[in-house]
Order: sequence, then C-alpha cells, then structure tokens
Amino acid sequence: MIPKLCYFLKLLVFIILNNLILKLKLNIDGLLVYFPYDYIYPEQYSYMLELKRTLDAKGHGVLEMPSGTGKTISLLSLIVAYQKAYPLEVTKLVYCSRTVPEIEKVVEELRKLMDYYTKQTEAKNDFLALALSSRKNLCIHPEILHANIVVYSYHYLLDPKIADLVSKELAKKSVVVFDEAHNIDNVCIDSMSVNITRRTLDRCQTNVETLQNTISRIKETDAAKLREEYSRLVEGLKEANVARETDMYLSNPVLPDEILQEAVPGSIRTAEHFVGFMKRFLEYLKARLRIHHVVQESAPQFLKDIYEKVCIDRKPLRFCAERLRSLLRTLEIADIADFSAITLISHFATLVSTYSKGFTIIIEPFEDRTPTIANPVLHFSCMDPSIAIKPVFGRFQSVIITSGTLSPLDIYPRILDFRPVTVASFTMTLARTCLCPLIVGRGNDQVAMTSKFETREDFAVIRNYGNLLLEMSAIVPDGIVAFFTSYIYMENIVASWYEQGILENIQRNKLIFIETQDAAETSMALEKYQEACENGRGAILLSVARGKVSEGIDFVHHYGRAVIMFGVPYVYTQSRILKARLEYLRDQFQIRENDFLTFDAMRHAAQCVGRAIRGKTDYGLMIFADKRYARADKRGKLPRWIQEHLTDGSLNLTIDETVQLGKHFLRQMAQPFRQEDQLGLSLLTLEQLQSEDMLQKIAQIAQQA
Amino acid sequence: MDEEPERAKRWEGGYERTWEVLKEDESGSLKASVEDILFQAKRKRYMSEGHGQVRLGMMRHLFVIIDSSRSMEDQDLRPNRLTSTLKLMEFFVEEYFDQNPISQIGIITTKNKRAEKLTDLAGNPKKHLAALKKAVDSTCVGEPSLYNSLNVAITGLVLTIYTLHMPAHTSKEILVIFSSLTTCDPANIYELIKTLNALKIRVSVIGLSAEVRVCTILTRETGGSYNVILDESHFKELLMLHVKPPPASSSSECSLIRMGFPQHVIASMSDQDAKPSFSMSHLDSTGEPGLTLGGYYCPQCRAKYTELPVECKVCGLTLVSAPHLARSFHHLFPLEAFQETPLEEYEGERFCEACQGELKDKSVFTCLACKKVFCVECDLFIHDTLHCCPGCMQTDRTS
Repeated sequence: MIPKLCYFLKLLVFIILNNLILKLKLNIDGLLVYFPYDYIYPEQYSYMLELKRTLDAKGHGVLEMPSGTGKTISLLSLIVAYQKAYPLEVTKLVYCSRTVPEIEKVVEELRKLMDYYTKQTEAKNDFLALALSSRKNLCIHPEILHANIVVYSYHYLLDPKIADLVSKELAKKSVVVFDEAHNIDNVCIDSMSVNITRRTLDRCQTNVETLQNTISRIKETDAAKLREEYSRLVEGLKEANVARETDMYLSNPVLPDEILQEAVPGSIRTAEHFVGFMKRFLEYLKARLRIHHVVQESAPQFLKDIYEKVCIDRKPLRFCAERLRSLLRTLEIADIADFSAITLISHFATLVSTYSKGFTIIIEPFEDRTPTIANPVLHFSCMDPSIAIKPVFGRFQSVIITSGTLSPLDIYPRILDFRPVTVASFTMTLARTCLCPLIVGRGNDQVAMTSKFETREDFAVIRNYGNLLLEMSAIVPDGIVAFFTSYIYMENIVASWYEQGILENIQRNKLIFIETQDAAETSMALEKYQEACENGRGAILLSVARGKVSEGIDFVHHYGRAVIMFGVPYVYTQSRILKARLEYLRDQFQIRENDFLTFDAMRHAAQCVGRAIRGKTDYGLMIFADKRYARADKRGKLPRWIQEHLTDGSLNLTIDETVQLGKHFLRQMAQPFRQEDQLGLSLLTLEQLQSEDMLQKIAQIAQQA
Repeated sequence: MDEEPERAKRWEGGYERTWEVLKEDESGSLKASVEDILFQAKRKRYMSEGHGQVRLGMMRHLFVIIDSSRSMEDQDLRPNRLTSTLKLMEFFVEEYFDQNPISQIGIITTKNKRAEKLTDLAGNPKKHLAALKKAVDSTCVGEPSLYNSLNVAITGLVLTIYTLHMPAHTSKEILVIFSSLTTCDPANIYELIKTLNALKIRVSVIGLSAEVRVCTILTRETGGSYNVILDESHFKELLMLHVKPPPASSSSECSLIRMGFPQHVIASMSDQDAKPSFSMSHLDSTGEPGLTLGGYYCPQCRAKYTELPVECKVCGLTLVSAPHLARSFHHLFPLEAFQETPLEEYEGERFCEACQGELKDKSVFTCLACKKVFCVECDLFIHDTLHCCPGCMQTDRTS
C-alpha cells in the first residue's frame, strides 16, 4: 500500500465523482439494485449479499450489523429490487420496527429510494408503501391488501389482539423484517402474558354489568339479532376454518386450530349464558386473589382447580375470547376500548385453557418492595417467546431478524424456535477507529470494581465508581451517559457520592441529570442535558440499563462522547416470573440459567454503550466498569463490532490507565476528519466496489455464525 | 536525591505509547494513519495556499484568549499546561510580529468565571512578552468563561478599530487557547456568536484536551479554524498556523491606508544641538523611562519613538519601516508547491538538494521552476520557513 499514491487516486476519484453526481446501481449477485446514495459502505454491500441469499433460499435470517451503517436502506433497496425483479416470488415487504420515530426514519429512507426509482426509470411509480404509525390510523384495512410495502410496529404482527385486526390478511409470499429485534423475545412474551389485578377485575365487573343491560335491552327491541347470532354459533367457526385452510389468514395464537373445527359449546352459546359464565369465572378469579401467600401453579393445575371449585370446564373457556368478540359484534358496541378489561380476561381464559405448556400462573399477594401493602396480582406469564412468533415464522417465506446487537447469534434461533438459513454478523469498516471500548476492573487503590451483589454496598467500590466518573468528567467533552444496573442501585450510589463529596467535585466539571421512573421528569432532564451539551457547560446523564433512555434514545456526537456502564446489568433474578422462565428455558431448550442471564445482561450492556456510536463520523468511549466484563464468557457475548476493538491492552484497567487511554483517544478523534479520508476504506464508489481486492475484503466482513 | 525537579519523574507522566508510531498493517484499521492524515493535511495546507490570488488580511487585530482555569494545571504538557502555553505564546508573539509587522495583538486570560485583559491591542511585542512572563506565576483556579472573554475581546476590538478610524477591511481575529472542557457563561453564547458573525470577527480555537461542541460551532459560524493538540510539538505547529495572515473577507472594499516611514535619526554626542529626549512609547510604560539621543520621528507630527512598528500616540499614524513591509511580501507571493512523485517513479540521483541526505521516503518533491529534488522534511521546511527555493536561488546567482 502506498498511501500517498492512494491519496491522489482517492482525490482524483473524488473529483470525478463530484462532477458526475450519480447514484449507485449495484449488481448484487445478479440482481440490479438501485441504491439512492453516491457511496456505499462495504458492509452494506456484504449485508445485501447475505440478504439476497436468504431470499433466494426462501428462508429466515438473523443478521447483525452495527447501527449507523445504513441497515435500513440496505434492507429496503435490496428487497424492493427483489420485488421488482421477481414479482411472483415476493409480493410484499412487511417492515416492523419498534417505535414511532424509528418508523418515521424508515419512511424517510423509503421516500428517498422511491424518488430515485422514479427518476431512474422515468415511469410512474406503481409501488404503494404504507406506514402505520399510530393506532388511530387503523382503518386502512382494504388498502393493506394492495400495498407493496408495509411499515409498522412489532405489535401489529406479534400481539394477537392487534395482529388479528391488521395483519391476518398478509400474503404468504411476504418478506417480514424485524428491525432492532434484539428484544424480540421479550415483546413476544409480553404480548402473550396477562396480568390481572383487583382493579382489572373491578372494571371487568362493570363490563359484565353493562353487557347484561345491553343484552336485556336488545332482547326487548331486537331479539332476532341474538337468535341469529346463536344459529351462527351453532354453525361453528367453520368460516374461519375454511379461510385458514385456504391459506388466506395468518393464524392467531389465541385461536388455536382445534377449536376452529368445533362449534361453540352449548353452555355459552346464548348471550345470557355466556354473561353468566363470565360472571362465574370472575368470581372465581376474585376468590383466587384473596390470598396471603404466593401461589405458583401450572395451567393444568389451574384448570383442575377451577373445575373443582366452580365447575367450569376447559372447553367453554377456550372459546371465551371468540365468544366475547362475537357478542360485542352482535351488540354493535362501538367503543371497544371500554371493554378492555373483559377482553383481557377472556384472552386469559382462552390462553390458559389452550396451552398446557409454556405458561405459568403466579399469584402474589403484594409487591416484593412493599410487603405491607396488599396488592394482589395474578401473573399469567408466557415463558416461551416462540408461541407468539410461531405463526409468523410458519406463514411467511422469509423472516429477517436484524439489529445492531444480536450477539451471541445462535441464541435467537434457539429461544424463538426456528431454523434460519443465514446467520451472520457484520463488522463496521472504519477509516479511523472511532470506538474505544475499555474495561475498568480496578480503582487506583487496586480494589476490584464490580456491582456483584456481595460487594455492591462496599464503601471502596462505591468510592472507586465515583472516582471513575469524576476523572472521566474532567477529560471527556460535552456529554457523558452513565448507566446503572437498577434504579435502587443508582439511588444508593448517588446518595453515597453526595455524602463523600464526590458529587460536588463532579459538578465543577459537568452538570448532573438523573433519569427517574417518571416519564415527564426524565424527558425534562433529557432536554436540559442536551442543552448543557450544546452550550459547552457539559453534562452527565445518570440513567438505568433497561430504562427508557437505554433503549430508545440516541446520543449522537457531542450528546454522548462517553458511555459508562457501572456494573453488569443482570435482570432482577429474585423475580418469580423470571425464575419460572429460566426453569422453562433449561427444561425445554437446554439453555442454562447462567447462559441466559449473561446473554440478557450483555445484550443490554451492548445496547447501552451502543447509544453513543450512531455512525462512522461519530466517536465515543465505551467504558465497562466491572471486572467481570473481562471474563471470556462476558466479553465473548458482546457484538463482534465491539469485540473487535477490545484488545488485551484494554482489559482490567485501573482508573488512571483509563484516563490516559481516554485522553489519547479523544485527542486522536478531535483531529480533522473529512469524507475523502473514508473513501476507499470505509466508503466506496461503484468503481472501488467492483475491484477484486475490495470484493475479497467484503467477503471477510460477514462472519457466519 | 532531588537532582531533577519533582514533576520530571517518568512514572508521574502520562503513558508514552511509543509503539503507536509504528504503522499498522494494511488491514485498514489505522491508528497510525491518523498521523498520515495529519501529514497530508500539512502538505495540503500550503498546497491550497499556493494560489497567490487570495487577498490576505495583512493588517491584523488579534486577541489571544488564554484559558487559565483549573484544568491548565494538568501536567500532560511539561511542566504543566499553563507554563507550556505561555512559553509557546512568547514564541508566537515574536513570530507574529516578525511576519505581520503592521498588525496588533492583545492578550486576555480567563479563570474563575471571569475574563481579564492582560494587555490591550498594541503593536509592540515587548509589553506582551513582559505580561506573558509575569503570568507564569499566576494560579489557575475555577472554570473559564468563554462568553465573558469573548465579550471582552469584542469590546477591545471594536473600540480600537473605531476610535482609531481603522479601515473596515482590517482583519479582526480572536484566537482562543482552550484547555477546559466546560465553560461557565452568564448568557446564551449562541447570541454572542451571532454578534461575532455580524462584526465579521473570526474566532479560532486551539483545544488542549478534546473536541468541545460549542467551539466547533463557534469556529464554524465565524469562519475560523478549530484544532485539538496531540502533543506539544503539534501544539506549536497549530499555533504557528495562526502566524500567517488569513484570507480577507471578500466583501471588504479596497481602500488605502496612511502609513508613515520615519527615518532613523542618529545624533552623535558631539553634535551640540542634540539633546537627549524621551520617547513617546514611554508614556504608558511603567518601566524606567530612558533618555535617548536618536530615534524615529513621526513624519506627520514629529513625535519621537525608539522602536518600530508603532502607532503614533499623537496623530494615530501607523509608523513602519520599509523592511517590515517587505517581510510581509512572501504571504502575497508564496512559493509554489512542489510536485510530489513516488520514489519508484523518480529516476535520478537519490539525494535531497537541500540537506544532501538520501531520499528514503515514499515520495520525492520537485521544484517546478528549477527541477531540483527535495525530501519531505526539506519540502516542509522550505515552504513553512524559508519561503524561497534554495535551488532557484542558486541558479539565479550562477546565471
């Protein structure tokens, strides 16, 4: 390599390209892909190759690529191109993202792509894309059938309550993409879990009464209607069954196959009987909540108990959700939101009687934190994320799961129970090393730094954490984001820092803001934090892993020049729900408790530190302040693009060493960095992309798991 | 035991990562390549300047703001940031007046949330040097205030320029040497940036620790440069960048400036008419007034000065000597950039014309006029310091 020669070539290419502003038309494995930018990152090319292979094989894929490297546009441009080239193979793209801002970002990219298509082909664009960003816009049902691209939130596909309304008519030949899918198992579980409190039951009681009144009123005015419903129910759910067999609908996990074959059982066929049935069920639940000790039981045990106590059979329970829906339709009740409580209960009834495995019922008389206040809750919790997502994998020919942090890659196929054809992790090609992960294991006094339970109250540990933050506040410009493992831990530490006077010293360098559980307070803190970063005062945001800040908020450029992760963010392991889930994972999927806990902690840690790097021109320090991170089992679970930069020299550092390395890094990064410096290394033009060398290099970017 | 000063001990200093100079392989992950990028930037600098058609603001008014906050006590520059900075500043002031004889400079320090004017805008290096020497002993406390110091600088610049009826195109500049990563401001600094922009004051910043957002905005909005130092030598390099006059803003209209070229009158002791007299520049100096015989006399009002360049205290005329002006000449007609060719392609004697060393670098540099060949180091030296090609000078003389 002759840098100077390369430099001249780079300049030359740059000048030529500047004169001929052209966007890229790529040849990806024989497929013509329009790419609406002048340059492409090597990893994007590699990503598209893998994606193409997945689509060709009509299989599922798990792809990990760091954020800020243009995942979205790579996905969109390849799949759209694929749709255009093979309209019969792939009819629709369903793009699921997590939050409304993310959806908006996708739409923005899509618009760019479409503009480029129109310009290139000079034909009228016959593509229809649709974004569902808010629940208010749900009444687009007929449109969805014709749209080529649908962008919406996970819930529309995973949550059985919504999926049925929105997604059940999606064609089989669709490609489904789950973006930012590192938490998809939790979304699945949440969508299938039901929590019932006393309040829910009270509201349900009101619902039942309203239903009863409505029924008796209708009976007087329009008895025919109810009769008609009755006869329809005798016919059974044949209609739905026919639809499913002819492959028109996405199956609903709340509506299992078997019950479609049967008629609604006689005991709940008439409206009054059904309401009476619900009343009985409600009374039973109320009785169950009157307890003073924790009860945990499986679904069959629950069913047995309910049969013995109030003689409710399994079969009518299973039809509960469907029967309620039919009733609500018949009664022509407009405002379904009012009936959320009873709907919830009916879902619970159906789920508990349908699935004998994968769920557990835990009834707690009070919360762990407030043992004196009676607040009984019935947790019907799903332990198997694959139940909710199974219909999705089963129905669509290609499902792509992608995110910046999916490591270790093999665990997702296991816990979601599917067989992917491609599993790959992509690194970020960089012209300069813009991320600097450091593992701080000791204070300057050589006391080990860790949030391990036994030592977390240790005075020396807390002081060392304080010193670390103090030292970092003196050398890192603008914004620092610090993550703690929990709210309680954060409160304890901050109080202790205050007593030791550390907080006061920190405040000489930067202002301090704290994330709280109150959303309004937090967004206020965030706003002020950004202001302080903007006008040079500098700020520190203390927040909590798994909190709102750690998941959805990006700290680009000066808003996050360093992220400090205090401790390993293990989930609260004493929770009964978690224990049950761990047990289930061990028995069903042969995943050891520890493996799962570490995996879960590390994906959250990776999410937290990943907040600071949002692109190739961005830079930031990633500080893991716990000696346990240096262990191979933790380190090995970080995404490849972070691990790559974690050298032996950056493990188990003291605070002093961290400061020195950090200072050096920040100075290096402050040097001017122009686009030309990236060209040819981490940013490619079409010519560069076609060179043999580069293609070979690109082949190394993707690592198959 | 105490032979060497306390802070010179190796283990107290930073980690010197000597291995980092080593180039990494071609894998593309290039820590060492940052240096390469810097080198390219260095060459690019004079290559871009090589056009000669840019109008330069030769008459400069520059305020240097030196951060003297707590962070200046950091010992990552030897012996500490403050001492190192002040020493470099002394060098800078000398260089500045050497290269910009008809310009002025003023110094402001900021600490404890306040800004203090060390010296007013003046064209005489002595006063500044004395102030800088004195400042070494000052303590570094509290936070700096970017807002307050910029405000002081603006007031200073505006006052000087308007009371002395300077032409509108004089270049107004502020150079901030910013060590801290925080600033304590009484008001919104973005309003002040707007003011700076309206007054066409260019603000440049040299950061001593890391990139601070507000400085990025400040320099970008006002058209200045923002650099962060890597080490002491890089600091010096960055500081020296500000010795060269910046391009004048295109909107400034062309106008003429009145200047006086006083003759140096030497009176001999034997001359009976000659009486020792005070120089006007002693009026405001606290030092001992010295009686001198000869001096420079303002051609307009006959006030006497012992040193040039100076601005006449009586009539406000800028007094310079012809050689001073001549020295600014090379800014206007810089030496053209040499042509870079890779070593493999170069066929000829492998010796640098200037240092006579063997050409070992990856590229050689050829002067387009005399076709002589130079190595990288000499190429930089010729363009940064000599401002004329030794090869060409030789041919001129021989022919």
